[in-house]
Amino acid sequence: MLKIFTDTDTDLTPAEAARFGFQLISMPYSIDAKTTYPYVDFETFDGHAFYDVLRSGVLPTTSAISKEQYINYFEPDFAAGNDILYVHFSRAMTNTFDAMDQAVAELKARYPGVRFEEIDTKGITPISYGIVCEVGDLYLQGKTLDEILAWAKEEVDHFAMYFFADDLKFFRRSGRVSGLAATMGTLIGIRPLIYMSQEGKMVSVGTVKGRPKALQALLDKVTELGSEIEKHRICIGHSDAPEIAHQLGAMIEERFGKQNIVYVYVNPTAGSHCGPNGVGVCFHAKHR
Amino acid sequence: MTLNADLYLNLIRGGAARLAENRQTINDLNVFPIPDGDTGDNMYMTIEAGTHAAGESLSEMASAVSQGMLLGARGNSGVILSRMFAGLSKGFRNLEEADADHFVKAMRAAVEEAYQAVSRPVEGTILTVLREGVEAAASSSSLEDFFDRLTAGMESSLQRTPDLLDVLKKAGVVDSGGAGLLSITEGMRDALYGKSPVLAGSDQPSNAIVDFTSFTEDSVLEFGYCTEFLLRLQRCKVDLENFDETVIRDWLLEQGDSLVFFRDGSIVKVHVHTKDPGAILSRCREWGEFLSIKVENMTLQHHEKRMDERYKCARKALGIVSVAAGKGLSGIFSEMGTDVVIEGGQTMNPPVEKFLEAFDTVNADVVLVFPNNSNILLSARQAADLYKGSRIEVIPTKTLGEGYFALANLQADEAVDDMVHTLTEAASSVTTGLVSRAIRDSEAGAAGNYLGISGKDILCCAPNPREAALALFDKLHASSADIILIFAGADAPEEEAEALKSQIESSCPLSEIILLDGGQPVYNYILVLC
Repeated sequence: MLKIFTDTDTDLTPAEAARFGFQLISMPYSIDAKTTYPYVDFETFDGHAFYDVLRSGVLPTTSAISKEQYINYFEPDFAAGNDILYVHFSRAMTNTFDAMDQAVAELKARYPGVRFEEIDTKGITPISYGIVCEVGDLYLQGKTLDEILAWAKEEVDHFAMYFFADDLKFFRRSGRVSGLAATMGTLIGIRPLIYMSQEGKMVSVGTVKGRPKALQALLDKVTELGSEIEKHRICIGHSDAPEIAHQLGAMIEERFGKQNIVYVYVNPTAGSHCGPNGVGVCFHAKHR
Repeated sequence: MTLNADLYLNLIRGGAARLAENRQTINDLNVFPIPDGDTGDNMYMTIEAGTHAAGESLSEMASAVSQGMLLGARGNSGVILSRMFAGLSKGFRNLEEADADHFVKAMRAAVEEAYQAVSRPVEGTILTVLREGVEAAASSSSLEDFFDRLTAGMESSLQRTPDLLDVLKKAGVVDSGGAGLLSITEGMRDALYGKSPVLAGSDQPSNAIVDFTSFTEDSVLEFGYCTEFLLRLQRCKVDLENFDETVIRDWLLEQGDSLVFFRDGSIVKVHVHTKDPGAILSRCREWGEFLSIKVENMTLQHHEKRMDERYKCARKALGIVSVAAGKGLSGIFSEMGTDVVIEGGQTMNPPVEKFLEAFDTVNADVVLVFPNNSNILLSARQAADLYKGSRIEVIPTKTLGEGYFALANLQADEAVDDMVHTLTEAASSVTTGLVSRAIRDSEAGAAGNYLGISGKDILCCAPNPREAALALFDKLHASSADIILIFAGADAPEEEAEALKSQIESSCPLSEIILLDGGQPVYNYILVLC
């Protein structure tokens, strides 16, 4: 039997995970030395409250989970002899998967014959969300592990994500965006436009003046790169900027007609790196 | 009568005393009927910085007066004044005393130097008043005659300034810098005639109370000594006529930091921070003898804050100094990466010395300076010329808005020349609007109304600040801007600012409107269109 896993960095909520049959691995963040595991330490994510804390000047940190924690997640299915598929956020953005590799190697030695496979979404938050949901769809349709892996091999690079952040200080501290303007401090009103590369890294492609222009730039990217967008979910992620996210949704529908748009709150762990008021769109594309 | 060192200092003090009496009248000679210009204060503080000078010959005294003013210069008129006295000092070089002919020649050097202080001299200003005054006194028979003609010439020149500058005519005022210069000249003339209320010369720069307990028996010398001296180059030690003082400067650069170095004739003035002042003093005696020496342990409290700030951060590649008024704006500039915010603005122009201190504190190879006010630009440039410890680049930002947007465009990894170009371009792409209360009646409207100003033009007038801001938005075609920043001033109530923001938002759907608590004085709102 195939069991599917994903993690909270993909923005999937426990309710959505349950609907598809995913088990959720919780990726932690820390504020003032207090570590919080999403959906373990709380039931529902109060995005507004979380991002308000960030607005007050707090810079959270994130950490990798340990080999033992991975073993705890996976061992029951290894023991039961189930095949396992883990659809996770980008390997290029973290070292947490080193611990996972060790855990899996240990479990494979202990339970020979169990198949463990992974799909690297080469992204985080809405782009991972889009891919995870499609894998969930396939799983519900009864597709086999190999069929899903074949789909992923072909399709992962066709999920593109472009987004802008409001305040660079979060990214600057996390050091996870390349090509970012080497500014000295906060840029009020000027936003870097960032995309998720084929290597699963965040890369800045320049700055945009003012939010209306930034939204226009996202729409232009959907227009330029979009391919069969109507056949897939369009995921608009935001870090506590629902009105702006809906504004982008309306702009997309005004240009392309009615679409299957899903709005997601950027999870707190990813949000710790991008800060509040960011908005991004994931769509099916010719390429990233 | 001839002019010697003592008399010269007396004239300077007489000039300062007369200016002190008239400074408020001169402050009020504003082009705009808002409380925006403090020309009288700026010129007074500049000349006052020259009244503590000492020197035996006229040449030495004039040089010391000039150096005091160069460092104390505030505002454009203050910078021009300091350069005028630097010109006089050049004219008096190597003179023990001067007669009327010498004075006329020296004043010509002063005119030349003053014109060089500004990149594009404008007629109808202090420069014209100085030049025409000196022309009128060209053939004087005595010092008394010279000063009589000089003041008369300046007086009539001053009255003509509105004919040369339209903004003065519209405002119904004469040029404030010219008026300040006339006051100084009158005070000098009165001192020459012995009838001036001479300024008490005891206003030494405040001798801060030094807390000796901050350096104890067990303290370790961490910050070194602030070492300042005047060195008289000696003929028996150097070939004075052909001596190249850069030998001393280059050597000093290797010995310490924060070097400020001038040579005027045979006097070299040095300010340097070093852990071994003895080595510097010994070596400098190879070139001359000291006229005065001041050595202070920088750990002691009067320097404590500044030095702590400075030595906490190691020398870095790039540093930023910005000028801003108001707590909010200072905070905004800090958040945007400014290392040192110099408190200052339209009604409070920081002196050159403040910039030099800031450059010390920043401690960077390259320091970018954002003066953010057209009346502060020249002092920033003068400080940049005087400072030898770092490469100083003044970005000619004339408003806070220009400063904000230039800073937001800063890419720290660019080559310095490119960076300066990018920032200058960014600054020039910004439009800034100002809303302030009229303090007197003018063509634009009655006192008590609110004026909308951009550049040199009053664009609108309304009974309250919100309406004035909205009218100004229309006039400036704000809806085509990508970003509209509203800096709410100290006098702008929060609800009013929020209401203004919502109104602008509804009329500018394609712009991002950002309301910031600037807390600035004078301007209820500063509107920045990027």
